[in-house]
Amino acid sequence: MNRFVEAVSTLENRYIKDWKSRGGRVVGYTCSYVPDEILHAAGLFPFRVRGFSAADTTIGDTYFGPFICSLPKCMLQLAGEGNFNFLDGIIITPGCDSMRRLDECWRKAGEDIEGIVPGFFFHFGVPHKFTDYTLKWFTEETKRLINALNSHFGADINNEQLSESIRLYNRTRVLLARFDSLRTRKDPPFTGIEALAVVLAGTALPKEIYNAMLEEYLAEMNDAPGIAGRSRIMLVGSANDDLELVRIIEGSGGLVAADNLCFGSRLYSDSVDENSEPVEALVTRYLSHNECPRMYGDYKNRLLSLKEKIESAAIDGVILQNIRFCDLHGSENGLFERDLEKEGIPCMRLEREYGPLVETGRMKMRIDAFLERLGRRVVAP
Amino acid sequence: MITAGIDVGSLTSKAVIMKDGKILSSIILKSKPRPWESADLAINGVLEKTGLSMKDINCCVGTGYGRDKIPFIHQARSEIACHAKGARWLMPSARTVIDIGGQDCKVMKLDEKGEMVKFITNDKCASGTGRFLEVMAKAMGVELSELGELSARSKNPVTLASACTVWAQADVIQHLNEMIPIEDIAAGINNAMASRVATLVSSIGIEKEVCMTGGVAKNSGVVSSLEKTLGIRIKKIRRDDPQLAGAIGAANYAETLLNGGKI
Repeated sequence: MNRFVEAVSTLENRYIKDWKSRGGRVVGYTCSYVPDEILHAAGLFPFRVRGFSAADTTIGDTYFGPFICSLPKCMLQLAGEGNFNFLDGIIITPGCDSMRRLDECWRKAGEDIEGIVPGFFFHFGVPHKFTDYTLKWFTEETKRLINALNSHFGADINNEQLSESIRLYNRTRVLLARFDSLRTRKDPPFTGIEALAVVLAGTALPKEIYNAMLEEYLAEMNDAPGIAGRSRIMLVGSANDDLELVRIIEGSGGLVAADNLCFGSRLYSDSVDENSEPVEALVTRYLSHNECPRMYGDYKNRLLSLKEKIESAAIDGVILQNIRFCDLHGSENGLFERDLEKEGIPCMRLEREYGPLVETGRMKMRIDAFLERLGRRVVAP
Repeated sequence: MITAGIDVGSLTSKAVIMKDGKILSSIILKSKPRPWESADLAINGVLEKTGLSMKDINCCVGTGYGRDKIPFIHQARSEIACHAKGARWLMPSARTVIDIGGQDCKVMKLDEKGEMVKFITNDKCASGTGRFLEVMAKAMGVELSELGELSARSKNPVTLASACTVWAQADVIQHLNEMIPIEDIAAGINNAMASRVATLVSSIGIEKEVCMTGGVAKNSGVVSSLEKTLGIRIKKIRRDDPQLAGAIGAANYAETLLNGGKI
């Protein structure tokens, strides 16, 4: 477990340092809609950019303004402080409007602060709908990314390499699905904090190393004693890579036994078809991925998959959290609350800032009250 | 069976001692910077009134922001649960409870048995809380307790440009400088407060009877403005001081614990 926690507790972890010392190059990306198999196939180290460890947002506020999600602001803060200078490239998507603005704000900050814009800076358009014409468009965009990577890094991404990377990444998904089945069982052998660290590490380690670590961990966990007697919580909503948020929930007697987060189970919920042409298989998997409210017209399916998870993981209550100014999750959480409560599933909405965890007293008060509510809940026989 | 409930809030600390479901004595005092100091003062003060000592208390439950730092309690419980429980004791017919405390505002929905089934609290902003009123009263140079009475005499309430506490304070100063009658400013403050709280109440949904707890429940200006904004009647708590709801709820929970119940 320590290796996972260590890998996610620093931005430029020792695996990245080792990779760079051997002349390897690292490319960051901001969203789970980027098919990072492509980066792997190009011989690059794909690294999911986070806003973790930003102590304030003075640089972020300067370029973004105050009324916007604090996640991209923290990312820009770290970039402006030079914490992402180890990146040789960055891929930014319009995951949401705030994240789209990271592209222009980072470029603009780069005019004022020397050396913070990586040599490869790519805006990767991802449509908000899954249709035949958006799939066509997304295929073209993905090919544009492949050509840009080939041209900038002197790579030669071909189908054979892509297929190999797809197989490797699918292996990760299979392992994480096994991990998920341990997590959601009646007495999971690890806490939600540990679960988040394990999943997050997958975004910050070379997949070959990560898969080996994961296999080892799963073997250990098979016979590990389980945790029982706590209220089982599902954490839903905006991006969260903060172990501390989960620590508050679990410190009050909850156990985060499931999530639908983009630094969580969204990463491994579907595999890429290994029998189709690789680019086609990748774009289909990524664009059909509907778990983020950025995808229009798919609320009902998202609700359905949430309900399935709640049932299979025997969830007692759902915490619907969103980062302040997150329109997508903020509004969808309201719908989830309405529809889940209607079916007798207790929900609590929680708005927070991304970044250094503040107002923990107020957060704890709400979580305590919610857990007290769950403790009294009568479960039908 | 003697129980005690202690509610250490950000502005005031409250304690009650109950015997067989009836209040023997209660106290409300200004909180100290350290919660355990407030708790000591409150419990000693309330015990003194009854002539009892700590060893006579069969069970004590703590709540409020400082609940985890109170050394002498048997168990801590969130203020949301305690306010709901206390409100139910104060008004058994209550189904929606609006509690405005020093630094937060809570709305709780109760089922027919009085169990809390839903709650919502304000986000991280002081407007819509007791602190908002405290800052405004200070800016106007009046006592907090005068705001309700002043606003009742208003003929033409001002509109505060912002519900942000700091900006609203600047607005209040501006109105004072322009010699606007103090009653109209007081009414504007209470209306601003009510409109912030109304948003929360509307988002959770209203079920009758509606009651208000917390210190702000004693401000008739906020209560009537809230009634007007929401188009509802807020039933006045008469059984005891609505500011004691959290401490009463805590004492009720202490009784449940003594009876072998799980809280």
